[in-house]
This record gives sequence, structure tokens and C-alpha cells, in this order.
Amino acid sequence: MAVDTLSGAFGGATRKSRSYNLGTPLVLAAALVLLYLWLSTQQLDSMEARVLSAASIRDATLAHLTLTAISTSIVVVIAIPIGVLLTRPFARWLTPWVMAVANVGQAAPALGVLVLLSILFGIGTKIAIVTLVFHATLPVLRNTIAGIQQVDSALLEAGRGMGMSRRQILRRLELPLAVPVVMAGLRTTIVICVGIATVATFINAGGLGDIVVAGIKLQRTSILVTGGVLTAVIALGLDWLAGLAEKYVRPQGI
Amino acid sequence: MDFSRYLERRWDDLLEQAAQHAAVVALSVLLATAIGVLVGVLTWRSARASGVAISVSAALLTIPSLALLALLIPLLGLGWAPTIVALVVYSLLPIIRNTVTGLRSVDLAVLESARGMGLTGRQTVWRVQLPLAWPIILTGVRVSTQMLFAIATIAAYVAGPGLGNEILSGLAGLGSANALNKAIAGTAGVVLLALAFDFAFVGLRRVTTPRGLRV
Amino acid sequence: MSDIKLVNVTKQYDGQPLPAVDGVTLDIAAGELVVFVGPSGCGKTTTMKMINRLIEPTSGRILLGGTDVMSIEPNELRRHIGYVIQQIGLFPHMTISENIQLVPGLLGWDKTRSRRRADELLELVGLDPVAYRDRYPRQLSGGQQQRVGVARALAADPPVMLMDEPFGATDPITRERLQNEFLRLQAELRKTIVFVTHDFDEAVKLGDRIAVLEERSRIAQYDTPERILATPADDYVASFAGSATAIKRLALIPAERLPGKPLNVANGLPTLDKGGSARDVLDLMIRWGTAQVAVDGGKAVDFETICGLLGDDHGR
Repeated sequence: MAVDTLSGAFGGATRKSRSYNLGTPLVLAAALVLLYLWLSTQQLDSMEARVLSAASIRDATLAHLTLTAISTSIVVVIAIPIGVLLTRPFARWLTPWVMAVANVGQAAPALGVLVLLSILFGIGTKIAIVTLVFHATLPVLRNTIAGIQQVDSALLEAGRGMGMSRRQILRRLELPLAVPVVMAGLRTTIVICVGIATVATFINAGGLGDIVVAGIKLQRTSILVTGGVLTAVIALGLDWLAGLAEKYVRPQGI
Repeated sequence: MDFSRYLERRWDDLLEQAAQHAAVVALSVLLATAIGVLVGVLTWRSARASGVAISVSAALLTIPSLALLALLIPLLGLGWAPTIVALVVYSLLPIIRNTVTGLRSVDLAVLESARGMGLTGRQTVWRVQLPLAWPIILTGVRVSTQMLFAIATIAAYVAGPGLGNEILSGLAGLGSANALNKAIAGTAGVVLLALAFDFAFVGLRRVTTPRGLRV
Repeated sequence: MSDIKLVNVTKQYDGQPLPAVDGVTLDIAAGELVVFVGPSGCGKTTTMKMINRLIEPTSGRILLGGTDVMSIEPNELRRHIGYVIQQIGLFPHMTISENIQLVPGLLGWDKTRSRRRADELLELVGLDPVAYRDRYPRQLSGGQQQRVGVARALAADPPVMLMDEPFGATDPITRERLQNEFLRLQAELRKTIVFVTHDFDEAVKLGDRIAVLEERSRIAQYDTPERILATPADDYVASFAGSATAIKRLALIPAERLPGKPLNVANGLPTLDKGGSARDVLDLMIRWGTAQVAVDGGKAVDFETICGLLGDDHGR
């Protein structure tokens, strides 16, 4: 996967947010328009026409987005609470162990995990989602822990000094201040999910990989290019949206 | 057939696939290091130029590998060529970013004395900044290498070399006796290779870091 | 030998209302050590850096041994001017010897010659070459590193040295020792040196002449330390020179040169060691409550002698 170890490439918690203007969506829209214009100049045979029909593309795109959305939601539900838990004093000793296991899991190639799980438990969307979650959990988990740990200890002491309870400190101070870091992890997670979702096609779980694989099997450039461009546009577009969200949910004053 | 017998029977094939996997990753990382360091050297001075280089390589890394391979097939066909190009593309971001960071992180006093002693800009970069930035650059290379081992498995789908073939043949033989053995052998092989390389990087770092930085 | 002439040198940064350096004209004789002293931000470092073109002047001329520095390729120019900065800036990945050999290497010296030169310079700055040549900068203390910094600047035997608060970051004891060694070195080498500091006492101690600089590097007074202390040009210089200027002047007079009565027997007088100044003599008198101090070589110096040293400007 291009992106399954992207979080590693970004060196942990502090993924630098790039400044996003409207350039990205404009470039992506232009790419789609060019693709459409180019396709309309091509003489498509019956196989190409079938794969590149509006319905087929719509289904593949929807399936891709669904896989990504479900997996990302599951990651959020799992990784954030575990991350918070691992920063509590009673569980802190567990953190290095959990991280070590997570790192090793991350090192396994997504394709291998996907195939292994399908052989063991059968093919299909569910197994694809399990693989996605398996690979996409680490960034959010790691950034939740890092985000809470990076909160200035002087602030926490001030909170305690004002008579806030542990729970209040977590909810009013630690979590809000960790949001930017957690969001950066979430963005990486989304990109990883979009990436791994392309190989879900290998186990009949649909998605834009269907189109790419059809292009390779049928040896049709039109299909290859369409599949490649669409997948890339979806990936870059979701990354851009996640970047926007990252800025939007940042607490004011940070 | 149990896994150990499978390994025994297929040992030579597996070894060859592993060797190819390692070779394609190593070759790509070497190329990417040459390109990435050069891009870093050419752009680090300008926040804008290096920002563009980093954003573009980050955007490239965001593109799913199957999609990039699909786009490369019409240009390069199947096999090693699209695999290497894709792997080089994916390893650029950590290397460029760390080169820029490393070159910029050199102590200002060191840079001022280099200038004051009459080193040209180029001499300063090659004789002072790059040696000092090397440990940081090498970290980027290491991150890229780890990433490539996983990505390279996908390349098997476009007739690329390596252990991805073992995994895919497991998938193709779904339900057959050896499917699981193949998937395990391929996946574990990739993980082991990645670990071995990571270990090798520790040694490489020791050997290539200038002695004056280690004291 | 190289003298330095600054003629109406100005540096104007874009977007700044006033120039950073405003029309400085200054002559520095060959072999002379001139200290630029002034408050931080007064432009003294900028003025110095224009000499080796680390900063390019906006207008005016800088002549080095009669040649306009703007006519020399900047890197070539810098290889022939020693440069020492406060943060030292040794290259951490090179050994001490490699650091010193760098400029000779750039100038095309052969290996043996530059290696020998590095050893010679280590010796000169008081570091044993055998013990230090293959060490790395991080293995040295701050004071040792600065000695290497000076050795490195001297590597290609440049006639001119620029020094930007070279001892500013060291503790007072190390600083004093480095200053003394540096004076001894300069007595031997007679380089033309521009030395920048904001420490007036350091300027008095080291300078053959001192340029007291105001805002925009304008020269408030350019004279010998003695005369700046004795007759400050204006209130600015006087305030910069600070209090107790008479005592500071005494520090400039070596005790050996004081007139005294011969002294044949040790008679219990406090004795000043070799190398002290008239100020040290006075210090001993106050400390011991005596009006007489023995100075090495067997003479006795009186309190009256000390009082008479500064001539007829007592009233200032």
C-alpha cells in the first residue's frame, strides 16, 4: 500500500499541516474534466463501455467511500478511547507494549493481511473492513496518546490547583488541547483507508480497485487511466477535506 | 501439508522471491535517495521551493499504489519498470523532507564560519551541511525503506518481482491446500525482510555517521 | 602588511528608514589591533562584516592594503582574512586538525604542509598537537574550542583578522586567560585586527586603539585607550567608559615601568608578582594598608608615584 505506513513517513504525532488553499480541488476537478474529455474522444469497445458506464463508476466509487467511511468510524470508536485509557496513570505502563505490538502490526503488508484473513475467514466486505481497521488504527491511537501527553503539565497542575477532578481535567483540558494532534492522525488514517480499499477488490469487496483490475485484465488503457485517475482524485480529495476539518475543529486560540 | 514441510519444499523459490523483493526495494531506495537528496539540496534555501517539493511528494504518497501502477502501465508496461518508478515516487517524501530539515538544522554559527572562511555555497553544502545532516537524511531513507517493503507486495499484481507473488498465488489458490501456507510465507517473509533491513540501518547509521557527531 | 581603510562606508537595508551604518571613515594601520566598542545594535558587527564582504556595503569604499575589497572575489577575499566569532562555529564532523587545515586546503596547500601548519598553530595557542589534533570539537571545553577557533582563523597566515566578540561566551576566568594569551600572541604576530566587543574593559585591555561607536556605527571617538579614558570626547564616550576611569588607566601601565627606590633587603613589604600593572600596585597598597609596595626586581614603589602617574588631569 502506498499509504499504509504513511503515518510512519510523517514521523509520528506531529504531522505538519500543509497550507491548503483552493488549488487542490481545482486541480482535481481539472483532472476529472480532462479525463472526461479524453474518454469522449476514445472509441470504446463493448467491454470498455461496460466498465466505464456511469452506473459502474458510481457503484465502485460509492463502495470505495463506504469502505473508507465505515473503517474510519470504527477506528475512531476503537482508537480514541484506548488511547485515552493508555494515558491514565493506572495504564501507563502498558503504553510501550501496546505501541510495540501496533508497530509490528503496521509493518505487515496490507495485501498479506487481507489475503490471510480471507483464507481463514472467507472473502468479502467484512474482511476488507477488518483489514482496513487493523492497518489504520495506529495513527489515531498514537496521536491520541501523543496529543494528551504533549499537554503542558503546568496547565494540568493549574487545573488541579483550581480544584478540578481528574475527569474534569481530562474533559476540559487534556482532550480539547489534544484535538489538533488527534485530527492529524485521523487524516493519516483516512488516507490509509482509501489506499487499502483499492485492493479490497482482490477479495470481492468492490471499490475503485474493480476498475483498475479490469483495466489490467482487459489490457485497456482507457480503463487503466480512468481507474487510476479516479482513485487518485478520491484519495487526494479526501485528504484535502480531512485537512480542512483539521483546521476547522482546532480549538480557537491554538 | 504443514507449514514447515511447505517451507522445506519451496525454500529455494521463496529465497529467490525474497531476494528479488529486497533487490527491488534496495534499488528503488538508492535511486530515491539520489533524487531526494538532490531535490533537497536544490530547494532547501527557499521556503517556497522546498514547500512545493514536499507538498508534491506528499500528494504523490497519498495516491493509492494500485492507482499509480495503473497509470504507469500504459507508459512502462508491466514488470520491474513500473514497480521501480512507483517505489521511487513513494519514497521521495521522507527523504526530501529530511534532507531539507537536515540541511536547515545546521548550526548558524557553523554556517557563518564556513562563509567567513571563504567556502563557496556549494562547498558549504557538500563538505559541511550534508555530512552534518546525514543522520537525519538516513532516518528518512530508513522510513522510506520500511514503507516500500509493504508497497512492493502490491506490485506483484502488475507482474512485479518479489514476495507479493507468493501472497497473490495464495489468493488465487483460495481453498486449495497450500493457500494458507503461501499467504503466511509471503506475509511473514516481507515482515522479516523489513526487520532485517531495519536492523541493517542501525549498523549503517553507525558506520556512516561522521565520528565527530558520535562523540 | 595590510592596512585597512574605510572611506565613507554606508549600509542601508531595504525598508529601513535609517542606514544601519552611516558614513564610517576609519584608518587602521598594518599590525594594529583596533577594537570597535559600542552598545548592541549600534552597527559595529555590520561594519566589521563589510570588510570581508559577509555584508555588502551600500556605498563607500573599503581598502585592504590599498585594494578595494569589492574588486576581489568574496570567497577568495575571505580565505585571506581570519574570522573568529563568539559562537566559534567549529565543524563538529571534522577533527581539530581538519578544521584548521580547511582553508589551507581550499588554497591548494599540499597535505603535509597544512598538517604541519595545524600542529604548529595548536602549539601556538597552547594546545598539545599530539593530544588534540585528532580529537573532535565536542570533546573540547569552550575555552579550548575558542583557542582552536583562533588557530583556524590563523591557518593560512592571513595578514588581517576579524574577531566578533570571540571571548564573549566564556566564563570570566577563562575569558581573562584567553585575553592574556591573545595579547601575547598578537605581540608576536602583529596582525592587523578588527575586534568587536560591547565590553569596554575588554576594549581597553586589548586595543591599540579603540573606536567608540554610537548608533548607526558613527564614531564617537577613535583613539588610544589611555586617551579615551583620560579625555573622553563627549558625554556619550564618558558614560560608556563608566566610572573609575583613573583606576582603569592605571591598569594600562605595567608595574615594571614605574619609578621606584632600590630595595636590597626583604623588609616585609607586600610584593607584586611579575606582569602586574600600576592598578595591582594600588590594590596591594589598599589591601595591606601600606604606602609602599615591592615590585619584582627589587624596587619599592610609593603611593605618591602612583598618584602622580596620570599627569595633570586629576580634576576630570
